[in-house]
Amino acid sequence: MIETIIHVLVIAGLIVSATLVYYFRDLLAAALASGLFSFLISLEFYLLQAPDVAISQAAIGAGLTTAIFIIAIRSTKRYEEDAP
Amino acid sequence: MRMSKIVRFGADVLFGAIVIFGLYIIMHGHLTPGGGFQGGAVVATGVALVIVAYSYEEVIGMVKKFVLTIQESAGLVMFAGVALIAIGLGTTFFFNFLANSGSLFGMTVPFGPNSGELNTGGVLPLMNIAVGIEVWGGLAIIILYMLSGIGKTEEA
Amino acid sequence: MRKELSVLIIIIFGLFLGLIALDLTFGEPDNAAMDDYFIRNGQEQAATNNIVTTIVFDYRGFDTLGESTVLFTAVVGVGLIYRKLVRGDADENE
Repeated sequence: MIETIIHVLVIAGLIVSATLVYYFRDLLAAALASGLFSFLISLEFYLLQAPDVAISQAAIGAGLTTAIFIIAIRSTKRYEEDAP
Repeated sequence: MRMSKIVRFGADVLFGAIVIFGLYIIMHGHLTPGGGFQGGAVVATGVALVIVAYSYEEVIGMVKKFVLTIQESAGLVMFAGVALIAIGLGTTFFFNFLANSGSLFGMTVPFGPNSGELNTGGVLPLMNIAVGIEVWGGLAIIILYMLSGIGKTEEA
Repeated sequence: MRKELSVLIIIIFGLFLGLIALDLTFGEPDNAAMDDYFIRNGQEQAATNNIVTTIVFDYRGFDTLGESTVLFTAVVGVGLIYRKLVRGDADENE
């Protein structure tokens, strides 16, 4: 029972963070929300008893991908412009 | 662009802890979840933290591309070399010739759940270390190449 | 029009994945003979407690060699792309 509740909470957090990535105009905040999405996915992998995949996802998805996004944002604009 | 002093200090403090945790995952790959790839990715995350926190000129002085390239090649050569030693001993490719031999990493393991011993596993810890070194160098140098690609056009 | 279409595609794709997920069972594979062999003999043959590492580096070591080669090739590709971009200062971006 408690396990089902945790699963539902994690999946709800996944949907919320994915929606936040879409709605943020600040691209740095959007990159961090994408990192939160990867972190929640790694938590879900851990709950499904796959700790190997969880460590990979936390390191590559939440760490390195966010770093690449931040490096790209540093050399371009931080705020998204209005759609033409 | 320089990040703020808080970010740089936080990166300095966290870098050591992240590297130690990644090396722990590599070294205990044959006992606990994880292994060479996961541990190397964790260490590369620590290097990426430093790369993100400092500016291009400072990073070039701290992280050397030459060292990372050598690391990556050495990891792959060591991984294939350990596999090739088995052929030299008259067995098959990737044969675990150190397991249960009593020498380095050669203790036997009883069947069933047990607490584990670091000095077991045969060639598996050596291969974990090799893959860990390779993934560390590879993933870190990808980030470093991307930083150097934008290094000249960086906004203030 | 485009917005409704994308919402419709999302709903259809979500239903597709959800129906697949409802049909899956965890922990009861159909063909378990190979898994049982690894679980029974892995600790003795490879002298390792972590069966996943045993499979990845010992029983299926050749796959891991291919995976390492893929990573090496990816790094070489990235290096070649960015080498052309930063040709101006060859001293530190070699």
